[in-house]
Amino acid sequence: MRCLHEVELQAVADGEAAGASGANAWAAHVAECARCHERVESIRRDLRDVAAVLETAGEIPPRLEARVREAITLQEPIRGSTRLREPVEVPAWRRPRIVLPLAAAALVTLIVSGVLPRFGAPPTLSASQVLSRSLETLASAQGVEVLEYELVSDGLANGSWRIHLVVDHDRPTRYRVTTLAADGEVVAAMSQDPVRQRRTQLVRVDGRNYVVNVAPVSNPMLSLPQMAQALAETTITMMQATTDPKLTVVDGPQGRRQYVVEMPPVTPTTTAATLDLHRARAVVSATDFRIREFEASGTLLKQPFAISFKLLQHLVLSGNVQMTPDPFELLPGPGDVVLEGVAAEHPFEELLTTLARELARARAF
Amino acid sequence: MPVAAAPADPQTETLRLFQEHGASLYRFCRVTLGRADDAEDVVQETFLKLLQHLENHGARSNLRAWLYTVAANACRDRLRGRLRWLPWRLEQDTRIVDVTEGRPEVQAARRAMRALAPRDRLLLSLRAEGLSYRQIAQAAGIREASVGRLLARAVQRWKGKYALLT
Repeated sequence: MRCLHEVELQAVADGEAAGASGANAWAAHVAECARCHERVESIRRDLRDVAAVLETAGEIPPRLEARVREAITLQEPIRGSTRLREPVEVPAWRRPRIVLPLAAAALVTLIVSGVLPRFGAPPTLSASQVLSRSLETLASAQGVEVLEYELVSDGLANGSWRIHLVVDHDRPTRYRVTTLAADGEVVAAMSQDPVRQRRTQLVRVDGRNYVVNVAPVSNPMLSLPQMAQALAETTITMMQATTDPKLTVVDGPQGRRQYVVEMPPVTPTTTAATLDLHRARAVVSATDFRIREFEASGTLLKQPFAISFKLLQHLVLSGNVQMTPDPFELLPGPGDVVLEGVAAEHPFEELLTTLARELARARAF
Repeated sequence: MPVAAAPADPQTETLRLFQEHGASLYRFCRVTLGRADDAEDVVQETFLKLLQHLENHGARSNLRAWLYTVAANACRDRLRGRLRWLPWRLEQDTRIVDVTEGRPEVQAARRAMRALAPRDRLLLSLRAEGLSYRQIAQAAGIREASVGRLLARAVQRWKGKYALLT
């Protein structure tokens, strides 16, 4: 008989092979074949290790025991030291991606920031008109905007993230962007405040945060949001210039009407264009004309990319209000390594040179 | 003629089952969710649902699998909820760093577990708790025929991450 494949081996190791056809032959083969026997034993060892991990999760806390007993007696949830709450965090699932998630995040932000005039949905509207209004208002946002969205990217950077961004539209170089893994773990963050002449970057490496502070800084020629805005404007203009963008009206969440603007898919060709769109789709709220979802694929600098985002939350704060804590500040947490960097032309250069310097110092010891 | 013993009243039965399975259910939720406080919440919710189930004269056969199914569903809901809007603030982030006691290989095993996708973590945890493929399928909301394949892949991914950490 042939050697067993992984699923069959798993079933044998788990004692679940009995119901399968050929189970007897599997068992006989495992008994005879040293290789398969070892693989089954290896799976069993792995599962024992996993069980050991469960054991290390600890004993049931005494307070939980008391709490559950009380809840069962009273027949209602008990909100004690372990009150019922919204979930917040979890473990990391990816190695840090520093530059590209932030750039991609910023790209999306400015697309989302295209707040269209809030005078209600007109009875008829063309796809081009929707995009035109989006473009016209892209740069007109005011105050401090707080955005949270899901971002999925392929090509520019692979992965999915949750992005939290605060941007001051009155001072476009003042912002804070935080990239979180899908499970809530911080992957990277950057904040820049021209008022305080301060820039802070946070990167997470092997489960530890490294925070690089640079001050005083001069404003870069373009901030991440500004670069993203340029790209967003180009993308929307290209969608608008498409011969026949398709517009449909659909029912969104809670029965709210949404416009879906789609650029018909085109066959990818080899071009010298900096940005080439092969497909694009935007979902716009018919209530406030905000772009709720956006998907695009094509090539950027001849590299294929696909990007999609979904707006989760949006908040506009008055730029005049003094906010505490400062939403643009990126503060280190307990256990974070804080480094003082030297200002450079490019923020990522600052990060790189600071980390390299610290590495060199560490090796010198 | 023998007379069948009357079933215990729901509260007594729920407390007995908590005594019997509470600790393992807590460990399961703790590993699946990664947070002690979330795990505690889910355990409480699960046993309150069990109480309602028993009071409504629900089936009393295989209540262990029932408990894991309810807890796994609650864990999944919480994990999904994490993908929704959360007003995260670094300065208000009071997450507690996990304890690091134990042998280095156990620490690595735990970190590898945490690094897995939620479904992998769920499947491995259910299996490690001794649930059958049928019970795992029920709890995880997948087809029984897929359990072996998904488990095998989860084990491979866990081994890969564990190897990176050791």
